[in-house]
Amino acid sequence: MVHQIATSRFRVFIEAFLAVCVVFLIGFSLGYFIESGRADALMRYSQGYEIEALDLRLQNYYYQLMGEDTCTLAIEQNFLFADQLYEKGLQLERYEESNQITAQMVNEKKLYVLLKTELWMNSILFKEKCKVGFDTIVYLYVNEPENSAKVAEQKIISNVLKSVKESRGNDVILLPIAGDIGLQSVELQKRIYNITSLPAIIINEKEVLYGFQREEDILKRLSE
Amino acid sequence: MNILTGIYLVMFFIGLFLIFIFIILHLRYRKSLNAYPVPKSYPTISILVPAYNEEKNIGETIRCLLALKYPKGRKEIIVINDGSRDRTAEVVRKFTEKHKEITLIDKPNSGKANSLNYALKRTRGDLIAVVDADSYPNQDALEKMVGHFEDEKVAAVTSRVLVKNKERMLGKFQVMDYSIIAWTRKLLDFVDSVYVTNGPLSIYRSSVIKRLGGFDPTNLTEDIEITWHVLSEGYKTRMSYSAIVYTSVPLDLKTWIKQRVRWNLGGIQTVRKYYKSMFSNAGNMFGYFVVPYVSASFILAIVGILLFIRYVWVKGTYQLLSAYYALQGYDYFRYFEFSFSFTLLIFFGALFFICSIFHYKMGFRNSETGDKSVLKILAYSVLYRALYIIPLVAALYKLAKGDLRWYTK
Repeated sequence: MVHQIATSRFRVFIEAFLAVCVVFLIGFSLGYFIESGRADALMRYSQGYEIEALDLRLQNYYYQLMGEDTCTLAIEQNFLFADQLYEKGLQLERYEESNQITAQMVNEKKLYVLLKTELWMNSILFKEKCKVGFDTIVYLYVNEPENSAKVAEQKIISNVLKSVKESRGNDVILLPIAGDIGLQSVELQKRIYNITSLPAIIINEKEVLYGFQREEDILKRLSE
Repeated sequence: MNILTGIYLVMFFIGLFLIFIFIILHLRYRKSLNAYPVPKSYPTISILVPAYNEEKNIGETIRCLLALKYPKGRKEIIVINDGSRDRTAEVVRKFTEKHKEITLIDKPNSGKANSLNYALKRTRGDLIAVVDADSYPNQDALEKMVGHFEDEKVAAVTSRVLVKNKERMLGKFQVMDYSIIAWTRKLLDFVDSVYVTNGPLSIYRSSVIKRLGGFDPTNLTEDIEITWHVLSEGYKTRMSYSAIVYTSVPLDLKTWIKQRVRWNLGGIQTVRKYYKSMFSNAGNMFGYFVVPYVSASFILAIVGILLFIRYVWVKGTYQLLSAYYALQGYDYFRYFEFSFSFTLLIFFGALFFICSIFHYKMGFRNSETGDKSVLKILAYSVLYRALYIIPLVAALYKLAKGDLRWYTK
């Protein structure tokens, strides 16, 4: 039977099939190797950030006990951590788009959202305690948009906010937070600020904006 | 893994599988591409030339047919004037006065398949050759084809079609297109899977075609249908790569689209008629390869179009929305970015692309066009092959509407 197939006209189909299987095996192995590497790197980062978040929490207690003279240092740390989280958040999204074999990094994403929420709370505390004028922009977006129009709208809003952050530097903390991944702390914030739809932008815990906003209009709402 | 990724991977798998088949076949049989069995005897042959409004071409076609190398008295030429409204009959009549081997049949217009069936009843030859009225066979074409009929199982033999009118960009692209079509068709010959016996020049065993009832007048591509019919009956079809026929191709996009819509519609009609033979023993390779291969080609093309539409929709939405917001002050150009990250689909996409280029290069090297630069192959793939979408979409639209009238005479 095997000999018959090997010498028949069907042989070429079997050879081609085996060749494609080998190519796919190599492709999948390579893909899995690269994607696992990315996922591992992110896991390592997120473990590191968990420690930093704990550290920040402790610092927070410390600053509350100490006088207002420690404010500058505390806010500096807060900004540093916020910027790192923002960059890693973008990286996480890029990786998630690229990874096609390995499972989505839902837990890592949730962890990042929690860290950002904690950072937001910290920022609120510092603003009250230190009476300093920095701004917070919280961007609540849809994690898995239902249509391409929503994807496009969110990308445009995210570009505008990125530009605001670039122009105001350390005067602004920008916190993009996935608003629909089932975290109670995020749901609570949505209720507090009466968020009716996503995407939404919360500026300095006072104003909620929906949909596309011009850069100038956002800048106008920030402190001078 | 999401569904979309899965669909892309299945498409890449099938696409690579087909390319690998051609590459392996070529590597194995490249020295036999031009080989053909030298005939021990010359069967009688009736050459049928259906013609409709062909006054400009028919004269040259007849001159080519008269010049064909074939033993005297063994061939007859029958021109079927299918109710032409021009001087076709008059041109042919001038030839009939000088050459007894030419017969003119005048009949009311009823389409190519009906014309062939009409003439079939009047043929006496062991073989019948069908030649389009705007096609011009080389002098040695017949003798390079008839030897195949010494195998009793062979019921049809087709030739290599080359482009006569190479003017303009569209003509030049079709030169490349016809070369690739002929080369792949010849490779399929090595696995008994020649699934089209083309209109410009093909020869059939008369007894088989008559027994099968002739050509199907309800099919828009009677040449594909008759090939599938003989294959499904267990006969073999062959291609003679060294038997060359030149044909006139459309040089304007509108006529090209019209021709390709007809090809697509005829192809789909044929698949619908014979899909039940898929994976059946009917005709051996026919059921196991020809039907699945052609069906898969249509399905892949349709899925490809849907994926392309989705891609354009997603990207288009972003661009349109950006442009809309740009009117409200959004800096459109500032956010234009290009980022690259390795993905599994990029890997398989790149591999598929490289294999396609290699496959085309191999085909051109073994055709009359000779080797082509990667740049020319890219232009052919990107500018010309992309046009394939238009007639396919138009054909599907017509099929959905059940409108085939446009193509029937």
